[in-house]
Amino acid sequence: MKETEPVVFVIDDDKAVREGLQSLIRSVGLRVETFASAQDFLIAKRPDAPACLILDVRMPGLNGLDLQRKLSEAGTQIPTIFITGHGDIPMSVRAMKEGAQEFLTKPVRGQDLLDAVEKAIASDRGLRKERAQMGEIRQRFESLTPREKEVLGLVVAGLLNKQIADELGMSELTVKTHRAHVMQKTEADSLAHLVRMAEKLKNTLPK
Amino acid sequence: MAPPLLMQMIRSAPSELPALSRYAFAVALVLAALSLSLLLQVPFGNPFWFFFAIAVIAATWFGGRGPGWLAVGLSTALVLYYFIPPARSWHVKPRDVPFFLTFTACQIAANWLISWRREAEGSLRQARDELELRVKERTMELKNANEALLSQIAEQKRVEEALQMTRSELARVARITTIGELTASIAHEVNQPLAAVVANADACVAWLSRPTPNLAEARAAAERTAQGATRASEVIVRIRSLINKATPEKVPVQINEVIAETGALADSQASRNEVGLVMELQPDLPVVLGDRIQLQQVLLNLVMNGIDAMTSTSGRKRRLLIRSRLQADQQILVSVEDSGVGVSVEAMPRLFEPFFTTRSQGMGMGLPISRSIIESHGGRLWAESALSEGSVFQFTLPSASGTVS
Repeated sequence: MKETEPVVFVIDDDKAVREGLQSLIRSVGLRVETFASAQDFLIAKRPDAPACLILDVRMPGLNGLDLQRKLSEAGTQIPTIFITGHGDIPMSVRAMKEGAQEFLTKPVRGQDLLDAVEKAIASDRGLRKERAQMGEIRQRFESLTPREKEVLGLVVAGLLNKQIADELGMSELTVKTHRAHVMQKTEADSLAHLVRMAEKLKNTLPK
Repeated sequence: MAPPLLMQMIRSAPSELPALSRYAFAVALVLAALSLSLLLQVPFGNPFWFFFAIAVIAATWFGGRGPGWLAVGLSTALVLYYFIPPARSWHVKPRDVPFFLTFTACQIAANWLISWRREAEGSLRQARDELELRVKERTMELKNANEALLSQIAEQKRVEEALQMTRSELARVARITTIGELTASIAHEVNQPLAAVVANADACVAWLSRPTPNLAEARAAAERTAQGATRASEVIVRIRSLINKATPEKVPVQINEVIAETGALADSQASRNEVGLVMELQPDLPVVLGDRIQLQQVLLNLVMNGIDAMTSTSGRKRRLLIRSRLQADQQILVSVEDSGVGVSVEAMPRLFEPFFTTRSQGMGMGLPISRSIIESHGGRLWAESALSEGSVFQFTLPSASGTVS
């Protein structure tokens, strides 16, 4: 899998702060894109790369917490680092609940921010990898024929070949053949591996 | 007839005695009249019947109409029997009939007149008693009304005190809220450029610390650092000019009036904390040019501080002394002296620093604001204090005598 260059999004209404943060993050060799408002960020085309978001909580228009909620509603998961001038507890709790990676108070020490960025990108990398894996597994499972999917369902449910044969009204031998195809197509090493993949897939499917 | 009973009969309202004793009294009177008449007849010969008239009058007066009639009948019978010739017989000679009838008629008339008079008096007395009763009732009503009024006044006073407390509490909250909001806004205004300064300075260091330092980036970051710092100081300048702009044009102010007003404002707070407010104001002080409200704010702040300083003291007289006088240099000196806890030597130099406070709920803004107000009026504000003896806060204001009068 080819890893694209990670990118850090900085959203702050204050130009000076934006430039300072941009310079700071670029100095450690990371790509930075800055936005003056949450709206600008939402309409911008974002590269498909590991990323993290640095957000000022207090902004005119759409504030940081609103943006975070909008993103999670849209199914976009970007690890977010909040920066606030007045970090009160209810706000931090809310931010953390919405999945904030870190909550830092202004003015932020450069090293603290860089550490948080590094952690956030690593976590996004992990998330992306997992998402990619899941996509692959889904593709494999989708290549199964309807009959094989039926057999898969019963195998995962723990039924024996004989019971599956009875259930689906086919010979045990046919079940064995379908089962072998399933194992082959899903690239499962063992029954346990197959069950694990099926479970994972089920968890990510729309409920 | 025993004298106490007689006295009681004379004093008490007629016919208040039991009927039997009233009738017995009538009989006794008539018998007494008979005895006297018989006794006096022996030496003098003439019949002394006047006693019967007295007996009838007395019986009617004290006993009422019924006993009166009894006395009339009895005395008529006795006169007929004992005195109308032939004596000691019930016979009357035709010659004596007119005399006897006149006697009887007189007796009846006396009885009638007296009983009429007596009844008139009785109703008068009753009217008087009723009047007395009514006066008593009215007095009672008035007393009740008075008590109700007093309790209403007390209630009103209580409500007013509560209102006053609520009002001052509200004012305090409003003041604190305003200061709090102002502080938060200033903090944000200053924090923003500071955030940029820190980020740029860190970036500058990071660019320089790379294996091959990127001087162009470092320079740019350093320049932005300087810009941020300049911006922060500009914010400060703006706030300062805002405060200066808030000073309205100066008008002639009688400082003694301001002191008196402040005293009135602080009075309830002082008496609640058992602090005696004493003012020694030099009369006929020249006016000062200034903002009345701001000067009052300064005085109120010093007075409240003084009262606060005394709330925890015990065993010492709590006295707040406010003095004003004109100095030789035409400056007016106002001092606020308390007998409170005083200020420690360590705290003294920090007294006028913003956010320095020794109180749990204090903002630490009162004295710095007061000092800046006095200084904007061309005066000076300073403090002298001895720990556990009290403090004196005093300020000078230039008098406007040269310009006004």
